[in-house]
Amino acid sequence: MSTDVKPSWTASRLPFLADWEARIAARTLPREGAYLSILPWVITAGLVLLAASGLVLAVYYSPAHAFDSIQFIDRDVNNGWLVHGFHETGATMVFGAVYLMLFRGLLARPYKAPAELVWLAQVAVFALLLLVGWLGYTLTGGAASYWALTEAANAASRLGGAPGAIGVWFFGGPNGDGTLGRMAVFHIALALVIFCVLWLHRAAKQAVTPPAVGRGAVGFHPYYTSQYFVALVVFALIFSVLVFFAPHFGQSRLNLLPADPTIVPGKLLFPWYLAPVSGLAALLPGTAGGIIAVVAGLGVLVALPWLDLSGPNGRAGFLYRFLVVVLALDVFGLGWAASSPASALSGILVVLFAVWYFLHFLVLTPLVTSMEAE
Amino acid sequence: MAQTTLDAVAHGTGTRRDFLTILTVSGGLVGLAAVVWPLIDALGPDAQSDAAAHMIVDVAGIAENSAISVMWAGLPIYIRKLTAKQIADNQFVVPDSLADPADYTDRVKPGYENFVVVVGLNTATPCELEGNDPADPRGPFDGWLCPCDGSVYDPLGRVRGGPATKNLAIPRFTFLNNAQIQFG
Amino acid sequence: MMRRILGAAVLAAALLGGAARADDTLSPLHFQFQGVLGSYDKAALQRGFLVYETVCASCHSASALHYRDLEGLGLGPDQVAGIASSVKLADGTAATLDDTFKPAAMPAGAFGGALPPDLSNIVAQRPGGARYVDHLLTGYAPTPDGVTLLPGHYYNAAYPGNQIAMPPVLHDNAVTYADGTKATAAQEAADVAAFLAWASDPNLNERHEIGLRAVLFLVFLTVIAIATKRKIWRETV
Repeated sequence: MSTDVKPSWTASRLPFLADWEARIAARTLPREGAYLSILPWVITAGLVLLAASGLVLAVYYSPAHAFDSIQFIDRDVNNGWLVHGFHETGATMVFGAVYLMLFRGLLARPYKAPAELVWLAQVAVFALLLLVGWLGYTLTGGAASYWALTEAANAASRLGGAPGAIGVWFFGGPNGDGTLGRMAVFHIALALVIFCVLWLHRAAKQAVTPPAVGRGAVGFHPYYTSQYFVALVVFALIFSVLVFFAPHFGQSRLNLLPADPTIVPGKLLFPWYLAPVSGLAALLPGTAGGIIAVVAGLGVLVALPWLDLSGPNGRAGFLYRFLVVVLALDVFGLGWAASSPASALSGILVVLFAVWYFLHFLVLTPLVTSMEAE
Repeated sequence: MAQTTLDAVAHGTGTRRDFLTILTVSGGLVGLAAVVWPLIDALGPDAQSDAAAHMIVDVAGIAENSAISVMWAGLPIYIRKLTAKQIADNQFVVPDSLADPADYTDRVKPGYENFVVVVGLNTATPCELEGNDPADPRGPFDGWLCPCDGSVYDPLGRVRGGPATKNLAIPRFTFLNNAQIQFG
Repeated sequence: MMRRILGAAVLAAALLGGAARADDTLSPLHFQFQGVLGSYDKAALQRGFLVYETVCASCHSASALHYRDLEGLGLGPDQVAGIASSVKLADGTAATLDDTFKPAAMPAGAFGGALPPDLSNIVAQRPGGARYVDHLLTGYAPTPDGVTLLPGHYYNAAYPGNQIAMPPVLHDNAVTYADGTKATAAQEAADVAAFLAWASDPNLNERHEIGLRAVLFLVFLTVIAIATKRKIWRETV
């Protein structure tokens, strides 16, 4: 810290501000930081937008008249359609960034010891976001999401033992009048938990990043603030194209019908970001099977630091990078097949893609990484 | 010279970088305002609340010497059409002789002197007043009567007797034309 | 370089905007609101509303639409008040501006179990949107050989399954357009499809307008943000 600088008016009165100002200007960061390490920041910014728009929506949303209240927001509230769009498109953008972050993690391997917690925090963000996204989807009160909620709530109530008890506690029993109200509160509460997990991710990241020294080192401000600003503006540009020109991107038209207990869709449909996970759930039969498959799918991500048998400094070899690209295509195909109309072909494809997903993590990753470690 | 603080960044070398940075930061602030504004605006009155806050009521159908009651802003509002006799009896009452002095012109809108629009709640013990229908008990001044504490009002809503000491409140309204009143 | 990018962006926007400004046409069927920068043809919306009120409103409801929303068609507040007061509700009173579009009361068995769907969001709900609505209304055809119609159903080329319980309702001169447009069945279908598209998405004009400005602004901001970042990083230690 240089001694020839006077702290600002507020910093001299609030010592923590002075520390913060000095810290963000201190030259401890490397010049060649990876561009995609911006993603957790972009995700945080996206979540702040989701929280702000969500709060405004919550003022007008009514769980008892879910679909009608959302119509009210879209038609009668000043700029309600835009606030609704912020929330809908914000969800798409945040999920896009999270998927990008996870795939980048597969290639860049940020989970090498002692940084496993960084990766685990990322997986935790993904898992929580899936749950928050699913809850938000049920809140729309549309024809498709109504059945997603009904199936989940009714099935959870039928499970035996501890999972059944948890299911009944979470849903409050089979789908009824009070269910959406609970889902709304859980939606908000879990979203706040994600902020905490992102903070945890940042703390874990900083713990394993040694400060850079020497001539090349730069401070966070203004070097990385300017860089992150560019990322934020690009994020905003993609966001604007979606929210203004494709507001229902990745959503099924069926969900624009009001919930109707007498009309059952042939297949449960989800927004694009939930589709791959719904495909995984189709791998094993029955409700219990679906839950096991999804938990296992997230579990292999959690176990990745230990399934990856490359050495401590392993940079991904050609074959492993190729396999990650194949995995990306596989996940895309899984989501696409899970969202297609029910047919023999789509059923087979879903199972195939899901099996490859598990194959990649449980068999191919240990094999290929230990091979390339030599 | 090493630049290690925010102050140093603010006083950067070279006017070109300053202009660009200022332009970029201002652009960012404009963008941020553009995102925040719809969120704030959405919390303002929506179309339905706005319509209810500026409710329009048809008054052409009110018979002389009777009143209708409408709900606005959570209050019962009485709209009464006065007879010529009621206007004559009350037009020239000296305001100072009243418990709550008010002139005839304070109680009606110019050009529509035969219409009285008041909040139909007694100003003493809160209670809905009687007197809208010609057959209702109206008290000695042919106005309104409170069934709870006996307060008496004249046809212009001025208090004339009983425990109440304030005239009936007048809501904010305008005449759009001969047949319609808009509140708010 | 910045100017070249901006110029290209403005040119692209002008081309897109220009293409979208064509009016609704019947053949080939083209709606002015199609496309990235489309906007509603208010004249078509008003004609479509007339068709809706005359033909569709007797059976269909549009319960998310209030009469006061009709100002979005380009009608004045007096016209809208007049429209509302000309509608008789089930209890005999005239509709107010706050009322929603409800059909006249029909006896319980009138539809044989196939209730007419609410039309407030029909264009958003059906795959194919306004185009599907238009094809459905003009898709009635004589029953082909080999097809047996269910009782009370009609053959329709556009409806999934081809058998629809709604009778053909549009015919030439079912309404008389105030602006003098010839009221052929095809014209009526296209106009009411445009009106229903507006009913599903009344904010489309505003959304496209703000969207264009936002995207242009953000492209500009991206360029200067990148330039700023490079200037800052070029500083030598």
